Parts: sequence; structure tokens; C-alpha cells
Amino acid sequence: MAEEQKKVRFVIERQDGPNEKPYTQEFDVDYRPGLNVVAALMEIQKHPVTVDGKRVAPVTWECNCLEKVCGACMMVINGKARQACCSLVDKLDQPIHLAPARTFPVIRDLLIDRSVMFESLKRIQGWVEIDGTWEVKDAPIQNPYTAQTAYEISHCMTCGCCLEACPNVGPQSDFIGPAPTVQAYLFNLHPLGKFDAPKRLNALMQKGGITSCGNSQNCVEVCPKNIKLTTYLAQLNRDVNKQALKNIFNH
Amino acid sequence: MANKPENKIIVVGGGLSGLMATLKICEGGGKVDLFSYCPVKRSHSLCAQGGINACMDTKGEHDSIYEHFDDTVYGGDFLADQLAVKGMVEAAPKLIKMFDRMGVPFTRTPEGVLDLRNFGGQKNKRTCFAGSTTGQQLLYALDEQVRRWEVKGGVKKYEFWEFIRIIKNKDGICRGIVAQNMNSMEIVSFPADVVILATGGPGQVYGRCTASTICNGSAVSSVYQQGAELGNPEFLQIHPTAIPGSDKNRLMSEACRGEGGRVWVYRKNPQTGEKERWYFLEDMYPAYGNLVPRDVASRAIYKVVVHMGLGMHNPNRVYLDLSHIPADYLERKLGGILEMYDDFVGKDPRKVPMEIFPSIHYSMGGIWVDREHHTNIPGLMASGECDYQYHGANRLGANSLLSAAYSGTISGPESLRYARSGKNGEPLTDAEMEAARQSAVDEFEKILQMNGPENAHQLHHELGDIMYKYVSVERDNNGLRECVEELKKILKRWENIGITDRGHWANQEAMFVRQLRNMIIYAMAITQSALQRDESRGAHAKIILEKDWNDMAPDLKERVTKKHGEFHFDKETGRATDDKGDLVFMERDDTKFMRTTIVKFDQENEMPVVSYREFEHSLIKPRLRNYAVAKKE
Amino acid sequence: MYNVTFYLRRLHSLVGLFVLGIVILEHVFTNATSLGGPAALNGGLAMMELIPRPIFYGLEIFGIAIPLIFHAAYGIYIALQANCNPGRFGYVRNWMFTLQRWSAWYLVPFLLWHIFYLRIFTKGINGVPISYELLDSYFQNPVVVILYTIGMLAAIFHFCNGITTFCMTWGIAKGPRVQNVVSVLSMLLFAALSLVTIAFMAHYVLF
Repeated sequence: MAEEQKKVRFVIERQDGPNEKPYTQEFDVDYRPGLNVVAALMEIQKHPVTVDGKRVAPVTWECNCLEKVCGACMMVINGKARQACCSLVDKLDQPIHLAPARTFPVIRDLLIDRSVMFESLKRIQGWVEIDGTWEVKDAPIQNPYTAQTAYEISHCMTCGCCLEACPNVGPQSDFIGPAPTVQAYLFNLHPLGKFDAPKRLNALMQKGGITSCGNSQNCVEVCPKNIKLTTYLAQLNRDVNKQALKNIFNH
Repeated sequence: MANKPENKIIVVGGGLSGLMATLKICEGGGKVDLFSYCPVKRSHSLCAQGGINACMDTKGEHDSIYEHFDDTVYGGDFLADQLAVKGMVEAAPKLIKMFDRMGVPFTRTPEGVLDLRNFGGQKNKRTCFAGSTTGQQLLYALDEQVRRWEVKGGVKKYEFWEFIRIIKNKDGICRGIVAQNMNSMEIVSFPADVVILATGGPGQVYGRCTASTICNGSAVSSVYQQGAELGNPEFLQIHPTAIPGSDKNRLMSEACRGEGGRVWVYRKNPQTGEKERWYFLEDMYPAYGNLVPRDVASRAIYKVVVHMGLGMHNPNRVYLDLSHIPADYLERKLGGILEMYDDFVGKDPRKVPMEIFPSIHYSMGGIWVDREHHTNIPGLMASGECDYQYHGANRLGANSLLSAAYSGTISGPESLRYARSGKNGEPLTDAEMEAARQSAVDEFEKILQMNGPENAHQLHHELGDIMYKYVSVERDNNGLRECVEELKKILKRWENIGITDRGHWANQEAMFVRQLRNMIIYAMAITQSALQRDESRGAHAKIILEKDWNDMAPDLKERVTKKHGEFHFDKETGRATDDKGDLVFMERDDTKFMRTTIVKFDQENEMPVVSYREFEHSLIKPRLRNYAVAKKE
Repeated sequence: MYNVTFYLRRLHSLVGLFVLGIVILEHVFTNATSLGGPAALNGGLAMMELIPRPIFYGLEIFGIAIPLIFHAAYGIYIALQANCNPGRFGYVRNWMFTLQRWSAWYLVPFLLWHIFYLRIFTKGINGVPISYELLDSYFQNPVVVILYTIGMLAAIFHFCNGITTFCMTWGIAKGPRVQNVVSVLSMLLFAALSLVTIAFMAHYVLF
């Protein structure tokens, strides 16, 4: 082919360790239709050479499923928090800027430490308190519409896009963020889970809980799973307020 | 009562099986160190779309557990341990009820009970599902319960720790593991009473497949090199409809064809010479059309594209067309997965045909285990996709989530029982732990010094190409022999890898180099066992070569000729081809090969050694598998 | 332990809307009467003087001073927890969120100036009653006019957007549609009150 291979330029914000200074490097990757950001990063792994011809350590990042269900490959692409696997090069402005989601501690390059989100899930008691995995009575039947709502919320893959976009999440604040907060609602919806709803609502009343939500509503805009986060946050606000009244009147 | 020694079980892998085992151990009073190289909530189990099979019989179809049992054994071409399968299908409805209590948002009927759907290879509605993300929902439910135990102190998670190897005590009993922190690169030995491996499938051996990037089978390969036997590794399921990608092949569910999707390619009409759409599955299999079983569809697509040169090439693809179906109907039935196609390909499958090709999907084989999930190494257990149990030569759709969850309910309690039986020998001495750690450190430091011209990721890519070329949809002994040689070369080239990153912080490159070696060695086990299994069974389809024909037993020869009539051996490829130009495959050989393939690693030559082992198949008499007609009750 | 953060934040929300909101409305309406000429405004102000002093001072302290100090102090704490990012995420609600904080930052010094100069220095210490004439002469300085207009608009915006966030925080407006409706209505209120404000400010300047 006489035609020259089309290239895609990537400008990647790198960082060698948690306390190191960030720097940027640029890479060119051969264009092909359907190319996504993870596929491009894999190409860089195979040929870790910058545009200046310097051989460097391959870029570090996290990815698993590449189908937008595991939530691992969240990063900041052209300024927006999103999953890298479904970020098609064709739909992005070039050059493509990649950066780690700095709401979280950076481990290396685009690899971040999101363990805080899993810790938050402990705080909100994100589980149904079953007696055990052994056989008990059948689970109660459920309203199929409620189950549908639960299904929507249960899509949350703890990717952290909403935390990265939320102006109230970060070192300046102790807000646990939209995703873990809304998970509380998921368990409050379940016919068995709702027995512990007061516990979860009280947990949300604590410092860093739902109180810290400032209604910027970025979360719902960036959620890759289109979960109606703000709707459920408002619902939780209502529930938490009711719970507060119950607490006050020792009900 | 005297202080009972604390039973510490190490579970490696946080997918459905590992988490289920963890829960059972905690409930039994044991403590778990749970190792995973990703947060367990991101394990590959969440990629399962369709559902989980269990005989709930809520659709008025008189479904029975026996029917589920028979479907599974028949679908597995009679290579599955029947007692194990029986246990699994009997437990299935109870498991579903447990998941329901845990809060899995299963899709429900208008009256609020669990809905069921149809799935391949079964004629009754038997598949419970949560939309099109059943695996995700099941995994999350277990993840939540394990988190609860974490808070209670029963579980300590080691996330972003990579399993390197097991440690055996002086009697050869597995009493611990060596693992590496993937950020700090620190290598540590961990003692335990029993170790359970639940590390999933080896899809990454094929490079691009429907598996996650973490499904590299490295842990399985590692224990195999330490003496664990593999069972049936040659059986890998190939899903006919996946979206080919350079990073991965993404699954496009069978449901597409169930809802009326048609598979076609362009061709010149043989009579008129005009360009036309050829709906080849409908043409080749008028009875079942686009809904032929997975292996048949995969072979047909392969034939059309690879042998007939039709369809699209580089990468190979055919069309899976839904564009003739009304958009609102599609939205209702297939919404989620169509969105995925749109997300990743950037085209709307409601308007244009999807481009798909078969892809490696699931490994029926894995570490050999008994029905209690013990491997041949005492103290080492395996459960989930990484073991070989339950599926025989071919897995039925929606049985994988079931086997993963069920195996955890077996391996978990059994590990505790074993730990308390006093059969697990002496704990590791400090010297043994340190020696194991030091050898892993030495190995890692050696990798960091590698300075050759090869790039590990490039080599991985080539490994995948080789495996796809020789050990995928259709296999023949020439190709498999060739493959063994190629793999030896790849293993040799592995020595010449050069590392660009020699640091001791989050060095993914060095870890990948170590995994790659394990993958190559596992690939050899797959290939060698495929080479030695001279029959076609389930996912393993072997084309007859002249030498094979000469060695073949008369009754098998008769079955071949009855099916194909006259055939000849192609001059170029040596493959048996009948008058219609179709390849001639070997028949199933129950006399010789109704046995489990056992692969042992020969330390000296670094080569697999294949033998065969009898298994339990007394409950259902083997019969020939034929999906062209309805299964007889 | 006793969820102090939660109750303080809810109190902050209640105080902002129901106490300080009324103060803002009072200011807008009283000043709006100036459009009717000096007599109208002075009449209104004189009416207020009829309130018995203890009650008036009580209102000033418990209805304005303490709520305002609380709302401002806790508001600063809240605003410090935000890392505004409308540059990266330029959605309407995020802009509102940001403007809510920016307007607050403007209001803190502005109100300090406003209260100290007019209430404490002019009225309290110098004993000069607030009247049309006083304001008219005060607003001959263009700098004062601009700073006051911005201050009024900031306060009105902060109040009106506060209505929207109040409805979310208290779970009154749940779904996106009703939230939009509330948001549009409160912005209409903002527009109306702003027009009134601009009108009387212009009146002070021009007449």
C-alpha cells in the first residue's frame, strides 16, 4: 500500500510512583477502525517507544474485562473520567490525552488505588444480612418493578467515574461519593435487606455520608452505566431525613 | 475446651467459586486469606451474560432435575463425571434460592417469581437470569457477603497480590503459597492448612478470546509444573459469535440468533454468478438453521471463511444480522448487548449487520480433581473453571455459573474437613517458607535482568496466533505436531525477552513475562493432549489424515463412511475431504477415549506427559450425540 | 457519634432558605418601594421603626445576625470541601453548584462591608437613620453601585438556586424531570427578583 499508515497520537500523563512528579510522554499508535484506548495502550506495550524514539517502560494501567462491566480501566481521557476499553479513538478528539483519576491516590502512571470505595461499601453495610448460605425458607417474592430498579443500581461496577467527577470527593473532603452512597439504597430495596435499612441510613448520616452531597449532579452525567444516581440520592435524602426524625423522637 | 487451632485456608482467586468457598469456610469457623490479582469485585465471573441453569420448573414444562442431569452429560459428550454432575444439578435450585436471598436482582415474572429462559442444548426453560448480566449480579452478591465476613474478621483479602507457587512440606503436602504484591513487588510466603485454587480459565493462552485479560491460567500452569495433574485440557469451547477485536473478542450472546438473527456472507451465486447474500447456516442445516449448537456453528463459519474464502478477512468475519428485526423488539429483548456492540464497534446493530467470528470462550479442562475437589497434591484443592470437573467435552450454556458456584460449596467445607482431619501433615517450617520465597525472588530478579531482543507482549500475540491456527475449531495431527514444535520455539524465544522496566514498583511487564512462560507451558499441555486424543468429541474435532485412517478401528471406519460416503485425502493438506468438499472428521471413540485425559509435567524435558484415567459414567449410558433430531426422553 | 454533621448541614439548609431567604425578600421588596419615590420607601422604613425596639433587636439578632453568622461560617466549611471543576465537567448543574459557591465567596466580604458600614457604623454608631436620601447619595458612587448590584444578584442567585438544592436535599424533588422543573422555576424567580433589583438600583442612580 502506497498510503501511509495513519497514526493516533497519545499524550500520556505518567508518574513513576505515588510520591513522584508527574510528567508527560507522547506515543504514536497505528490507527485501525474500532481502535479503543485499551487496545492502543496494549500496542504501546508491544512497542514502548515515544515519538522522540526513546525506549521507555511500558505504561502501567489496570484493565480486566474490556467489556465495560468490571470497572477496572477507568481513567481520565481528554479531561473526562471514563472507561478506557469503550473509549473509541474515532469518537475522541486527537491528540488523545490520558491521565490518572487523581481523586484517588496514584500508584503508577494510570494505575490508581480505589480501595477507599470498597472500604466505603463496608461503611454503608452493603450486603443483605442473611443467616447463612445454607438452605432456609425460599426468598420472598419481589415486585418486578422494584427488582428492575435494584437491577439498575446493581450494575454499579465501582469504577469511580462518579467520584472523579464529583467536586465534593477528594482529599479536601471525607465524602464517600455517589456510588457507595447509592448502593445503600439497593439493599434497602430488598425485602430482606430492608430490615437493616435504619442501620444503613444512620451510617449515611455520619460524617462523609450523604450530607456531603452538594448536588452538582456530575455523577449522573458521567456514570458509564447510566444509573440514575441523583434520583436515588434524592430518595435517600428523603429516607435519611425521615430516619433522623425517627431518631429524634426515639421512634 | 482447649483452644482449637485456628484453621487457616488460603483461597486463590476471587471469582464466583473462590468467593463461594470463602463464605462456606467462614461459616464453618475457618479463617480465609483470599488472594486475587484484582479487587475480587472485578473478577471475570462478571462477564457471564446469559444466566445460570437450575431446575426450578416454574414454567409448566415438567422440567426435572434428571432432565438437567441428562442434558449436561449428553451436552458434554459423555466425558463428565456423572456423579459429580448429579450432585451439581441437584444442588442448583437451592443455590438459586440462596442467591435470591442474598439480593441478586434476578429478572422476575409479573407475579414476582424468578423468570426462566431457554438456552442452548436444553429444551425446557431452565435458565435463571438477571437481564443480560447474570454473572455480574451473582458475583456482586457473593462479593457483598464476603465483605460482610471481612468486617467480621473471618476473611483477610490480599487484593493485587499475584499467586506464584504453592509450598509443600517435607511430606509433599501443600501447606502454603508464595505470592507477590503487584505494587510493591514484595514477595512473601504465606502458610495455610489447605490451599484452594479458584483462578479461572486459561483463555489468554489464545491471546484474543472472550476472557478477561486476567484469565491467563498462569496459576494453574504453575501448580501443574509443581506436580498437579491436568484433566482434559484439550477441550476448549469456541463460541461461534464474538466480535473480533485486536484487544479481545467480545461475546455476542447466542440470544441474538434465538431472537431471529441470521448469519450470512456475500458470495457469487453458483448458477447466475451474481453477488448475493448467502445464509449458509440455513442452507447447510435446514432443520436448525441459525440455531445449530455452538460447535457446529463455529465449524461452519470457519469452513465458509477459511476454506471457501468467503466473508471478510483480516480479521476474519461473517455477518450476524439483526437489522431486519423491528428496533423496539430488539431493544426489549437484547438491549444491553446491542449497546455493547455500539459502544465497542461504533456501529448500530439495529441498522447494520454485526461482524462476528468464533472465539475461544471457556475451558472445560483444567486441574484434575476428585469429586471433593482435591487435586492429586494433598492439601491443594481446585474449584471453578480452573478445575476440569462437570462439563466433559463441551459445556452447556449457563452451566458455567452453576459449576463455579457449586464447586465452591464443595471445596470450601471440604477444605475445612480436611484441615481438621489431621491428614494435612506438618506445617511449614520457617526454613521451608524462606527457601520458597527466596527461589521466587531469584526467579523474579532473573526476569528483571532479561536483556534479549524479544518483546513479551509481541511473543504473547504470536502464541495466540499459533494456538488459534492449530488448536482451535478444527484440528489435525499434522497441525498439532507442528504446533508442539512451534511452542517449543516460543518457549526458547521466551529466554530472549528483553525488559524495558527493571524497577521494583508496580512492574507489570516483569510480572507478565513470568505469566507468559506459564501460558506457553499450559499451551503445550493443551496441544499434546489434543494430539493424543484421536477422536472427535464435543469441542475437540479432529480431521482424519491418511495415517489416522490406516490406524482406525473397523467399526469407526464404518461410521465415517456411513456418514460421508466416499472421500479422498487432499493433496496439499493431507486432510480427508468428501465429494462435497467437506472435511471428514473422526468419530467419537468410546472404546479408547471415554477416559479423562491426564497430563503430568515432565520436569526434565519441560514437556507434558499424557495418560488416561477411568471416570464415573455408570448412570447414563453413552449414546451418540445428534442435535439434528430432538433428544429422546 | 450523634451525627452532628448531618444535623448542622440540615440546619444550614433550613436557615438558608427560610430565615435568610426572608431577609433577602424583605430587602428586595423594601428597596423596590423606592421605585415609588422617596416617600414610599421612607414610609416603609418608618413602619419598621414602629416595631417595639426589644422585638426589633431580637429579630435582628435571632432572625438575621445569628442565622447569618452560622450560615456563613458553616457555609465556608462546606465550600472548602468542594473542588469546583466546571472547566472539566461543564454541565448546567455543575455550573450552578460552582456559582453557588462563588456567589457565597463574594457574599462573605460583601455582607461584612454592608452590615458594618450601613447597620453598625452609619445607623448604630453615627445614629443616622436609613432613608431614601441616604441610600440615594450612597449610590452616587459608581463603585458602590456595581459592588452592591453584584452583591444583591449574588444573594438572590444563592437563594434561588438554594431552593432547588433544598428540594433535592430534602428529597422533595426526586426524579430528573421534577428537579428540572424546580430548577427552571427558581431561575425564573431569580430573573424576576434580579429585574426588580436592577430597576431600583437604576432608580437610585438615575433619579
